[in-house]
Amino acid sequence: MKTMINLTVNGTKHEAAVEPNRTLVDFLRYDLELTGTKKGCDMGECGSCTVILNGKPVNSCLVLAVQANGSEIMTIEGLKTAEGLHPLQKAFVEKGAIQCGFCSPGMILAANNLLQKTPTPTEEEIRTALSGNLCRCTGYQKIIEAVMSVDKQDIP
Amino acid sequence: MLLPKFEFHEPETLKEAAAILSGIGEPTSILAGGTDLLVNMKKGKASPRHLVSLGRVRELKKTARDGESLRIGACVTVAELREEREIKDDFDGLFRGAGLLGSPLIRNLATVGGNIVTARPAADLPPPLIAYGATIELVKDNGERILSLEDFIKGPGETSIEPGEILSGIILREPPLYSGGGYVKLGMRKALEISLVNVATFFALDGPSGPIQKARVVLGSVGPTPIRSLRAEEILTGERPDEALFEKAGEAAANDAKPIDDFRASAEYRSEMVKLLTRKALKQAYEEAKLREWRRWK
Ligand code: FES
Ligand code: FES
Repeated sequence: MKTMINLTVNGTKHEAAVEPNRTLVDFLRYDLELTGTKKGCDMGECGSCTVILNGKPVNSCLVLAVQANGSEIMTIEGLKTAEGLHPLQKAFVEKGAIQCGFCSPGMILAANNLLQKTPTPTEEEIRTALSGNLCRCTGYQKIIEAVMSVDKQDIP
Repeated sequence: MLLPKFEFHEPETLKEAAAILSGIGEPTSILAGGTDLLVNMKKGKASPRHLVSLGRVRELKKTARDGESLRIGACVTVAELREEREIKDDFDGLFRGAGLLGSPLIRNLATVGGNIVTARPAADLPPPLIAYGATIELVKDNGERILSLEDFIKGPGETSIEPGEILSGIILREPPLYSGGGYVKLGMRKALEISLVNVATFFALDGPSGPIQKARVVLGSVGPTPIRSLRAEEILTGERPDEALFEKAGEAAANDAKPIDDFRASAEYRSEMVKLLTRKALKQAYEEAKLREWRRWK
């Protein structure tokens, strides 16, 4: 039986009827067509499905859409600013921290969450904050460099 | 992978949850953080007809002091646990264990209660919780009981929880004056890792420099449940803490471990690591005891 849920995604309110076995990642991708959020392992291991749920980065493949009822969600689509790409997104492009791009939405959201709590993180803090996000291409170094290069003044 | 179909229940109080649970006659699972259950359901290892989510039960999400004790709600997330001042200041072994569980993303979902009831031999929280002598509260429709965590875990995935019962809270007594705890985990990588071996320690000293009055050494991932190393504890008790003593205790702990060979590591390697990790975790406990003492004077 479908259940009605209300939630805010990237500032927009949505009301939808969902089956209880719909995961949040599938709800975002198939029902709201926000395909920026990726789904890799579907088991909580790769972090490609990372979204910000009530201010915290989580694996959206391990959350049911019904559990997110009443919550506030940010996906990668919600990060861009009025001036275009978010400074972190720019840094990822400039530093070569993106190759295939599959991990990037999750990486960038997890990194942004860190920068909001810790504006000038150490390398160790960045590595820890991103340790739930796997990347099969870059070898991580460029990603770390990209995050380090962001000037906290630029973060909106 | 699709989740099998189920009926979803979302009670708002513990009482309501217990009532729902006792009223359903079909296979039911309790959903807390979901990091274990939803994965098992996707893999087809679990197919409950009903899920009772505890996500809206506010009373399970609080950590509160109760006299000399600290009561952790079962649905406090692992990340939230690490934010608690009391945990940071007085339960370093638990603080470390919580920081090594899963990944930052998982820690924002996984709950303390979930890490207990799933009873995984390699879980990160039960060993330090047992080392601190934690007790747990189980609630059902017509009553509740309190028992020690050590007696609760029976085997891989097995606990003494009864049908209709909900783990509602974890109770820690404030550690005595001159005491400290530690936790060391060995895995292959730093995050999203299942322990090959983990060791949690706790000891209380008679005065600032000893002797040790009471000690607990708990070995994880080297047996079907976390194991207390009674031999190591006996060696420590009554002695002054130092490197040589910790080394002896480590050897005793290796004798109490019952590791297995599997594709991740050999039993022999695990035994060796028990020695080393026990030594390190005891050193951490001593450091914490000194730090807590110092903080008191400051
Ligand atoms: S798709 Fe969710 S963690 Fe991999
Ligand atoms: S850029 Fe390909 S997985 Fe990270």
